[in-house]
Amino acid sequence: MNDTGLTRFSPPRWSRRLRRAGAPTNWFPTRLHDPRTAVAVGRWLGAGVLVCFLTGLVSHGLQSPGDWLATRLPTRPVWGYRLTQGLHVITGFALVPLLLVKLWVVYPRLFVLPPVRSLRHALERFSVAVLVGAALLQVFLGLVNIVQWYPWPFSFRPVHWALAWVLLGATLLHVAVQAPAIAAYWRGKGRDPDGPERRSLLLGLGAAVGTVTLVTAGQTVAPLRRVTLLAPRRPDGSAQGLPINRTAAEAGVREVSPETWRLRLAGPRAHELSLAELRRLPQHGARLPIACVEGWSATADWSGVRVRDLLELVGAPPGASARVVSLQRRGGYRVSELPPQFVRDPLTLLALRLNGQVLSLDHGFPARIIAPNRPGVLQTKWVTTIEVSA
Amino acid sequence: MTPLRWTLGLLGVAAMLAGARLLVAGTPPGTPLDVALWLAGAVMAHDLLLAPLVLLVGAVVWRLPERRALRGALLTIGCVALITLPILLRPGPPRNATVLRLDYPLNLLGVVAAVLLAASALVGVRRARRRGDAPNATGPGT
Repeated sequence: MNDTGLTRFSPPRWSRRLRRAGAPTNWFPTRLHDPRTAVAVGRWLGAGVLVCFLTGLVSHGLQSPGDWLATRLPTRPVWGYRLTQGLHVITGFALVPLLLVKLWVVYPRLFVLPPVRSLRHALERFSVAVLVGAALLQVFLGLVNIVQWYPWPFSFRPVHWALAWVLLGATLLHVAVQAPAIAAYWRGKGRDPDGPERRSLLLGLGAAVGTVTLVTAGQTVAPLRRVTLLAPRRPDGSAQGLPINRTAAEAGVREVSPETWRLRLAGPRAHELSLAELRRLPQHGARLPIACVEGWSATADWSGVRVRDLLELVGAPPGASARVVSLQRRGGYRVSELPPQFVRDPLTLLALRLNGQVLSLDHGFPARIIAPNRPGVLQTKWVTTIEVSA
Repeated sequence: MTPLRWTLGLLGVAAMLAGARLLVAGTPPGTPLDVALWLAGAVMAHDLLLAPLVLLVGAVVWRLPERRALRGALLTIGCVALITLPILLRPGPPRNATVLRLDYPLNLLGVVAAVLLAASALVGVRRARRRGDAPNATGPGT
């Protein structure tokens, strides 16, 4: 025994009792259930949890910015949300092997005797239980949510958001509690008989993380599309080159007649435009990605009328923001807000065409919003009204 | 007990409390209890089901030749299978034709086969190299 923290997890008292009870002398014959391995794996796991938290924070901020943040969200880079949300889901997948190997390493700690030594020990064990539960549940909720299956009795978003803070907090607390063992790991380069064994475990873990990433990341990383074998989405080869999240049927949108459909512009000089009139306005192209909160993304060529041109038409004051309303009858996100910097942006379009073709009904015919650096759920489809708001 | 360590720990507790508050204030009344039950369920599913199963497999693998390569391969296969499970178990048809449109059982089998193949190749190369090295190790000059 020494005080560096790099001692075996399994206390001798535990194995002595087992031996007396006639149990096998060593219940955990494979080695590596030690603090050193726990730190070696835990640093990667901790980094992954941090990446998921920060990218989740970005996603939450973009979807529910609040008044202060709304006018400060950047419109560049255009692929910002594609990067952060892609990373969120890719890292979430990578957490599966990292978390399970970490828990395998420390599993014998579950059976320390006596189970509770003091109040402090009880609190520490409780915090570890919260940490393990939150980590497992967050990864589970994320993985099941992206296959569009919701078997839990609560709403996904607020729970995933709240548990993100619990998981981050429990991780920070855990690092603080285990600081001596972590410091000993970074200091202690001394005798290490388990070195080769540990390196082999870490190589296996690397292989698992690499394989899981390789077969799923293509849903957002275009060069990996062809090896996308086990992801919920594979964007290439979909309708008009882009996957669909909510179809017209799901949204309660029946056929929209190009003759009778009107775009209502509400502002100081209210206006109505038919589809033919809209097509006669100056058309602009933009190559922008659509990035879904579920972790897939794809770039497409859009063309249509600039939103800022439409707002000028109704005499909107400079610095105005816009509220976009959809024809959809069912599901959330019927209305989206475009803060001033998105309204002003020359890349923010009321798109009429996608990849050279007229939008299909499922992609939002006759007109949809496409703006840079925004979550897909805010790229409102089947637009019927654009209101100038302040 | 350095100040840094205390700061980190207190920050952690503060974030956990913030999360608990978000859960209580940001969801309907029944949700916090449901979430607590699901948290406990997640821990039990791991500690009572998955971990013992893995340890059981580990106890066997520990006694086999080439256990390190085998462990890496089984770890990879297990994780790939776990991430595919939600797709395979999800009830009902996909919401539209652009979701879940791959042949997942077939692809999973393909990935499993590729992992086993890669692990065998690794073992083969290592054995061949060891045999190649052996005469040199005992030869003159060493």
